[in-house]
Amino acid sequence: MVAFLLAFTVLSVLTPWLTRRLGTRVFYLIALLPAGAFAFTLTQTATVTAGGAVTQALPWIPQLGISLSFRVDTLAWLLALVVTGIGALVLVYCARYFSADEPSLGRFASLLLAFAGTMYGLVTADDLVIMFMFWEITSVLSYLLIGHYTQKRESRGAALQALIVTTFGGLVMLVGVVMISVAAGTTSLSYIVANPVTDTMGTWAVLLILVGALSKSALVPFHFWLPAAMAAPTPVSAYLHAAAMVKAGIYIVARLAPGYADSDGWLPVLVTLGVWTMIVGAWRALRQYDLKLLLAYGTVSQLGFLMIAIGFNTRDTALAGAALLLAHALYKATLFLVVGVIDHRAGTRDWRKLSGVGRSAPALAVIALVAVASMAGLPPLLGFVAKEAVFTSLLDAGVGGSGWGYAALIGTAVGSVLTVAYSIRFFWGAFGTRKKQPGTVLHASAWDTLFAPGVLTALTIGIGLFASVLDPLLAPYADTVPGVGSRTEAPYHLALWHGLEPAFYLSVVVLLLGTLLFRSRRGVSRLQAKVPDYIDAGRGYGKAIRGVDRLAARVTHFAQRGGLPQYLGTIFTVFVLVLGFAAFVNRTWPDTIVLWDYPGQVLIALIMAICAVMAARVGQRMTAVILAGVTGYGLVALFAFHGAPDLALTQALVESITLVIFVLVLRRLPANITHHNKPVRPKRRLLIGSLVGLVMGTIGFIALGARQFESIAGALPRLAVEDGHGDNIVNVMLVDIRAWDTMGEVSVLIVVATGVASLLFVSGRNAVVPRLKESRSLRSAANRRRVVADPELSSDGHAVTRQAFLLAGRKNAPRSRSILIEVLVRLLFHPAMIVSIYLLFAGHNLPGGGFAGGLLAGLALVARYLAGGRYELGEAAPIDPGKILGLGVILAVGMSVISLFFDGIPLQSAYFTATVPVLGNLSFGTSTIFDVGVYLVVIGLTYDILRSLGSEIDRQSEADEIGQRPGPAPEGASTSTPEEVDR
Amino acid sequence: MTALVPLIVCLPLLGAAVALMLGLHRRLQVLVSVVSLTAATVMSAALLVLVDRTGPAVVQVGGWQAPWGIVLVVDRLSAIMLLISALMLLGVLLFAVGQGIVDGDTEAPVSIFHPTYLVLAAGLFNAFVAGDLFSMYVGFEMLLSASYVLLTLGGTGARIQVGITYIVVSLVSSLLFLSAIALIYGATGTVTLALIAERMPDLPADIQLILGLLLLTAFGVKAAVFPMSFWLPDSYPTAPAPVTAVFAGLLTKVGVYAILRTQTLFFPDNPFSMPLMIVAALTLLVGILGALAQADIKRLLSFTLVSHVGYMLFGIAIGTPLAIAATVFYVVHHIVVQTTLFLVAGLIDRVGGTTSLSRLGGLLKSSPLVAILFFLGALNLGGIPPFSGFLGKIALFQAGAIVGDPIIYVLIGVGALTSLLTLYAFARVWSMAFWRPRQEVKDYTSSMSASLVEDPQDVGLVLKKTISPLMVGATTSMLVFTLCLTVFAGPIFDLTTRAAGNISSPSTYIDAVFPNGTGAIENSNKGTNFEGGTR
Repeated sequence: MVAFLLAFTVLSVLTPWLTRRLGTRVFYLIALLPAGAFAFTLTQTATVTAGGAVTQALPWIPQLGISLSFRVDTLAWLLALVVTGIGALVLVYCARYFSADEPSLGRFASLLLAFAGTMYGLVTADDLVIMFMFWEITSVLSYLLIGHYTQKRESRGAALQALIVTTFGGLVMLVGVVMISVAAGTTSLSYIVANPVTDTMGTWAVLLILVGALSKSALVPFHFWLPAAMAAPTPVSAYLHAAAMVKAGIYIVARLAPGYADSDGWLPVLVTLGVWTMIVGAWRALRQYDLKLLLAYGTVSQLGFLMIAIGFNTRDTALAGAALLLAHALYKATLFLVVGVIDHRAGTRDWRKLSGVGRSAPALAVIALVAVASMAGLPPLLGFVAKEAVFTSLLDAGVGGSGWGYAALIGTAVGSVLTVAYSIRFFWGAFGTRKKQPGTVLHASAWDTLFAPGVLTALTIGIGLFASVLDPLLAPYADTVPGVGSRTEAPYHLALWHGLEPAFYLSVVVLLLGTLLFRSRRGVSRLQAKVPDYIDAGRGYGKAIRGVDRLAARVTHFAQRGGLPQYLGTIFTVFVLVLGFAAFVNRTWPDTIVLWDYPGQVLIALIMAICAVMAARVGQRMTAVILAGVTGYGLVALFAFHGAPDLALTQALVESITLVIFVLVLRRLPANITHHNKPVRPKRRLLIGSLVGLVMGTIGFIALGARQFESIAGALPRLAVEDGHGDNIVNVMLVDIRAWDTMGEVSVLIVVATGVASLLFVSGRNAVVPRLKESRSLRSAANRRRVVADPELSSDGHAVTRQAFLLAGRKNAPRSRSILIEVLVRLLFHPAMIVSIYLLFAGHNLPGGGFAGGLLAGLALVARYLAGGRYELGEAAPIDPGKILGLGVILAVGMSVISLFFDGIPLQSAYFTATVPVLGNLSFGTSTIFDVGVYLVVIGLTYDILRSLGSEIDRQSEADEIGQRPGPAPEGASTSTPEEVDR
Repeated sequence: MTALVPLIVCLPLLGAAVALMLGLHRRLQVLVSVVSLTAATVMSAALLVLVDRTGPAVVQVGGWQAPWGIVLVVDRLSAIMLLISALMLLGVLLFAVGQGIVDGDTEAPVSIFHPTYLVLAAGLFNAFVAGDLFSMYVGFEMLLSASYVLLTLGGTGARIQVGITYIVVSLVSSLLFLSAIALIYGATGTVTLALIAERMPDLPADIQLILGLLLLTAFGVKAAVFPMSFWLPDSYPTAPAPVTAVFAGLLTKVGVYAILRTQTLFFPDNPFSMPLMIVAALTLLVGILGALAQADIKRLLSFTLVSHVGYMLFGIAIGTPLAIAATVFYVVHHIVVQTTLFLVAGLIDRVGGTTSLSRLGGLLKSSPLVAILFFLGALNLGGIPPFSGFLGKIALFQAGAIVGDPIIYVLIGVGALTSLLTLYAFARVWSMAFWRPRQEVKDYTSSMSASLVEDPQDVGLVLKKTISPLMVGATTSMLVFTLCLTVFAGPIFDLTTRAAGNISSPSTYIDAVFPNGTGAIENSNKGTNFEGGTR
């Protein structure tokens, strides 16, 4: 069985390719596979009839209890024969139905074959989850097949509708499947049926599964998708929507009936909805003009009938139901195929336009007649045998004391009357001769279009005549249903002739009434016009879908409308509510309250808080930046007073450089913030902000006061000195103990550099910082002291000569140059660089370190740039900052990788001491190399930012001034979002 | 072999440095990136095998013993996350290279893209190997700062505008995370995960509640949990296709990973089950309703991304080993499928000139391969059998049904409904973009599209150049990989079950970091008999 499923998969994948080679003949080829599966299933007949089962299992996901297990017992055997047999015949039929130039033929053939395989898997699966998988796949394939004519809007709509409805049922069923398999402790279908779960959970699970079955088999209230699905090509309708897929619901009910037919709700649901469906479907069928739609509503009706028979809880109804299932598959597939032939040959399916088809196509008419007669329940056909059996067994159930038996009997009898009427209507409509109509002209067609319907019809007759042969084949399934009606001693047997039983009289009455109903069709159609559709489930579906769409639009509009301010507001509100709640219920408050460590702390904190609030309120960008800077310097003070000179130093340098960067950016932005960003609901924001602060402060107070353990910090000083060989604990932490984190943060720095560059050098990062063209000669020592004439200025006659303190200074316009600054920078640059290097190496024992040193060197570069402009920057550091950054990272990361090769521990630092003349005893750890990496990265970053925010913006400004905009300008980088502008 | 643990972070970083230095040699940059990530993939696979056989790999960086130094820990969960991330990063990189070659590199300046992308990778890996709360934070910072750069690639107005939203929200979430670290350090005196896990149960329940909720809030923003999820669909879809794919696949999952790690390790009794369930249900529903309202495929995908995080929260909320195993499986599935679908959306953008449903049409006919890729991916995400999305879902449902609380059944119902609505959203895309003929697009009105909202950043129809074989190849390979998740669901689920076994009992993790127990730590602080901290 698994082998066949695999073959189906492989062949389906290959089919599009094969179709390109073989054209429509591909259908003959692929029909061989379901035919093979049919033959294979026939070989299992002996085992199955003996009451046994053929099983096969492969493990798949044992943790969930899901295995690829298959089991062919009588029921599976019957269904497998139906789906593979009819599948093969329909595929053969397709070869003539489609012309070679049919678009998307390969896709169609592939999907139809895949569907046959899926159905085979569905009916043979013994694992409930696997069964469900095939179940859902049939929904998807049906979706694709219904939507085959993609250019037709209605077929797309019908496909979507079928998908949504059947998947809805499927997902409800999935919940049931999960519940029942958890309750039973296994996913084995045969086990679950043999050992029913009878508690509340089991009952609910079964009802949920029934929802799936009802939706798949198009019972009320899900029936509406099936007629709409007739937008599919006719072979699809014949196979999926008559013989195979819609039987899946019937199948699962039949499968569960032996164990669960007596569970609460089962009978009421199935009988009520079954009868309702049978009557509604037939009633609607009675007014159709489209032959295919007539059949579709007929199918809906018959599915209701089948559901009653299969779902009823006695052994005999099960037998009758199985026979009815077979009968229905045979005649309904035949009729669809016949309609397909009529459609092709006459060019229409509307019977009002047809006349005399019976005379011009006698063979077709005979085949259809037999099928219709079977549908109406005329002897000696299989339909008759099955219907007799249903009537008798329901009557027996009623006599046996089941009120539902009588109810079902009356319901099915009424339904059968209508069935007879629409059966006649179908045949009369399709093949009758109407005097007013001219005879329909039929296109010629090959004889073998009749092959598939012919074979099916032959079976309808043959099995009907020899119904007693069928009986022992189906009995093993029926025997698994424990319920008995009044016929306690001798079970019912399928046979063509049971004598003059009550059921026979009932059949006669039904036939008579049905014929009468057809004859009074004018009255019926008047009545039909008067009776409104009390419940139009199709419209309900449309309303539901539109309702969901509207709900979605509304919810989304509500959630997404506010942009960033709303998102932030939501996040902070959640924080306040959640942690406010946690703080509110908290009973573990610290015993002692230390308000401050020293009074100055309060003052600093107060200044910081005031500045922070003001920074959020002022209108001038520059003021805001400075106020934010003050909060930063407040932190410097706090660090300093806490005895952390390292942190204070670093923080101070960071604040300074941040301020410079801000200034560089701000010069291109409007001075006023509120010009673009009018604050929305400032009071609400103030409230949220204050609450966030309050809550954060409170929980901090609670959490910090709750410590019961020694902090690990206690051991750090000793570790740093003894093992880290450094007196500066912070530095040892950064470059040794927690060097891993430093390495990560270093990479953040290079990303920041690339990010800033990315925004400003849109065309590529490697725009080199401009240098003086004559730099080589300028750099020569002789030139440095020479007084040079500014070539640009001298050209217009105002020759200015000036001492070149800064090499590139002369590139600047005289009005923006300051001799004082140039001199100062000239004096300070080199000492600053030396100090930065000192900080780098001294940092291990004294305040400093690579980070602080790098920042200082960066500030020195900033000074050069501020004094001399962008050309000066190029002169100060004539290499690509990317290379500095890269080298720094390689040093930092490389340290960890290299040490891996020495002793297997990353970032393991080694330590050397050497006595160097003059300098004395010099200690040198490998962690110093790491620190050099950090140093380089910080310099590189500063340089890169200067290059981007400084010289690139300079260049763009200059280009703007002379009217050439250099590509996308950077001002977008900081302007506000349009939503904010609107307010 | 444990050397692989730091190496998997260091290698992409070195790659980033080299790529940065090779700024002018784009082909070499590509080579460096591909080699780095291929190596990372191989190493993470090796790590997975190693860890699965011999237990968690623990590295005390620099020889400094935890809790003073930083400890890196790779257990099965970490190894799974490492491997899957490395694979995704590699696949998307190839796609990006393919796209760049077609684009003439105008959209994404490669010289920036490669170093940044590698730092993103390193950050991800770092977050997964961190055995230290602060190191995890550093990992987050690395990947977030890289993501800021990637999101604003090209510097177009639209990208910068959404970039601001993204950056500010991310910074707020980082701030909350940092506060959580401070508070946890304050209460427990350590940032080493294993030691926190050891000490947390001894704290008063009130304090545990505060710390746990603070962590959940911080990670909730990152994982885009309702109602802190609205920012995501506004920021992700605007980035270039490969960038969005990586963000969608991996970034929110880091948040999920962090929730999973900290919840199971610090709070093994699962005290936050009920609130997690409630937000899980709301995340699922509100997210998928958002998807239904979108006319733009990329935005639609972003909303499904938000929605399906709810499934993972559901699993974490149930908290049984089976539920955790299902969650891990679902995370893996979702990473791969969501990434793939975003790449497919990138392909759609190419072949259709737009990702807006109101302008797409006839794609089934014009690009059948893209159609197949989309259809299979969509079914998988919609949780249709036999694909991994279905398997993950049924595993979650099973785990829930075994516990069997009424609220869990509500959650299962919500999960099933979400699945249906996901399918509906994708079926509509299929119907309009793939089935509907091109000529019908003009003057098309339908109740189906009446309430759809266009992408505010929509730029109209831009017909770009064709798709390159590398883009299609990368996407197809990823799709094939999703199918492998289905076929080999048994062994994979076996692995995630073992991973769940690991993380369901924190003692495994604690013992791996402190094989000699934590007694020595208390002593060392008092300065007596100190052995544990030396190297």
